[in-house]
Amino acid sequence: MILGGAEETRRPDRAGARLRPAPRAARPRPARLLSRSSRLSMWAGLLTGLAVYALFGLVPAIGNLLVSVTDYTALPGVPTSFTGLANYKALATTQSPGFMSGLIATVVFVTGVTIVQNALALALAHRLRDDSRTAALLRVLVFLPIVLGVTIVGLIWILIFDPQQGPAASLFGALGVHSAFFGASGWAMPLVIGVQIWQNAGFSTLVFIGGLKAIPPDIYEAASIDGIGAWRRLRQITVPLLAPSVTVNVVLALVGSFTTYNLIYVLTDGLYGTQTLGMLAFNAAFGSAEADLGYGAAVSVVLFVMTLIVALPLMAWLRHRERRLTG
Amino acid sequence: MTGNPGMRRTRRLARLATAALVVIIFLLPVLYAVMIAFEKPAHFLTSPLTPPFPPAAGNFGQAWSGADLGRQLVNTIIYSVTSAALSTILGLLIAFPLARRLVRRAPALYTAFGIGLFLPLAIIPLFVEARSLGLYNNLIGYILLHVEPGLPLAVVLLTAFVTSIPAELDEAAWMDGAGYLGYLMRVVVPLTRPALLISFLYALLGTWNDIIGPVVLLANPDLFPVTRGIYNFYGANQSQWTLLAAAIVIASLPVVALFAVSQRQLIRAAVAGSVKG
Repeated sequence: MILGGAEETRRPDRAGARLRPAPRAARPRPARLLSRSSRLSMWAGLLTGLAVYALFGLVPAIGNLLVSVTDYTALPGVPTSFTGLANYKALATTQSPGFMSGLIATVVFVTGVTIVQNALALALAHRLRDDSRTAALLRVLVFLPIVLGVTIVGLIWILIFDPQQGPAASLFGALGVHSAFFGASGWAMPLVIGVQIWQNAGFSTLVFIGGLKAIPPDIYEAASIDGIGAWRRLRQITVPLLAPSVTVNVVLALVGSFTTYNLIYVLTDGLYGTQTLGMLAFNAAFGSAEADLGYGAAVSVVLFVMTLIVALPLMAWLRHRERRLTG
Repeated sequence: MTGNPGMRRTRRLARLATAALVVIIFLLPVLYAVMIAFEKPAHFLTSPLTPPFPPAAGNFGQAWSGADLGRQLVNTIIYSVTSAALSTILGLLIAFPLARRLVRRAPALYTAFGIGLFLPLAIIPLFVEARSLGLYNNLIGYILLHVEPGLPLAVVLLTAFVTSIPAELDEAAWMDGAGYLGYLMRVVVPLTRPALLISFLYALLGTWNDIIGPVVLLANPDLFPVTRGIYNFYGANQSQWTLLAAAIVIASLPVVALFAVSQRQLIRAAVAGSVKG
């Protein structure tokens, strides 16, 4: 996600407008300076890149729609036929269990992750933003889970919450609480949310630190000199000027938690009430012998539409909030 | 920021508390796994919370051979380095003409790549596509399928970087008859090195840590990267934690080493708000 990039790429536009009388003159000419073979290599590079992007990025994104109206299984010898909206009807009826519970799991997961991750990241950013060596070291630590990746992170937390030998079992045991943790309904979902946050909080923290650092320190100094207290400084300077980072972090956490399931796959494979819709789509397609790719694709399409329905208005509202706060 | 000595002491305590909390939350779980890797199974069964004295290294040899970690790490390195390099090179080959508007509709194309940052990884159609194109369950296919995820970030980052290079530079070079690719190599690559490095590192991490991809797109155990290998090893040796922890440590060492040398760039990029996680 780029913040400055869109702005910067528009700059040649303006520069061009200044140099040339007609800014929308059919096309810029510098390509003419290139020899024929150079132009060929430019096109070859650009088209190869576009082809890769279209073939493995755009086609699959649209492909869900196509697969969702079939009963494709990918099993040898099983014919595939067009089934129209049958997969979508199956979602709406009780015929296919998992959708309603998946919807609830998704709402819980998304809400928990988005709110807690951003709150934690904001607190961490506030404490880890200074230029000291300690802060730099701590920033490395909060970023470590991103580097380790979901498989290693998942296994480390399964170890810690091992019902027999794990330190968490001893800790809770001392309080008289015994549980199978990742293997227990009621425990699994909060734990999965916690690990998801642990995995990604470092990134949100760094984005918030970027936002905090972008606030010119002399604003605070001026406010201090004017005798404005800490609380009002927070409300009238930090909160408004941090609004763009809030937008980025909230949207990233929201869209991310709507669609991600790789960590859930490692931790519980969607068992014990952790089967979000993304996990459900995966498990329908690849999780059992009766591979139902069509149903999985239909779930993916519904999930994608749901994500847009929630994310787009939220983004609009956050942008509006940015403008309102910064005046 | 001054204040009386009492306030200063409170502040120092608060700073210490933060540091302790971050270490406990983010480092202790990892260190715990490292500690278990050095414990003998019997020690782990009787007193899992105490550090091993003396530490035993036997788990590592057993995990190395038992989980076939050597082959899997080589696979992972081949997959992630190749796909990240391809994705960075293609990113530059796309970004340069777009940033310089050497082609029609450059802004629209740029937007298309920006959208790519938000496209969900559609694993089901990707699987169908991989099967029909002969990319399923083979090395070349697996690498090709992992080039695209790194592209949008590379294009967006590199476009911003190329834009900051004065266009007069290319015009002068081209009027002198410099070739396009030679110019990119000799002038643009050195000037965009930080963005190239960041694109490469994030693409590399994405492929390195992918677990869904290897589960869906590979079937032959000889082709498994270390993520799937270690996940299967966990499935086959559940609750043999001393062995599993050793495998975890071995599997993470290369990527942690890479992080140790590149953390400054990775973190600075994230602080600049320029990358998606």
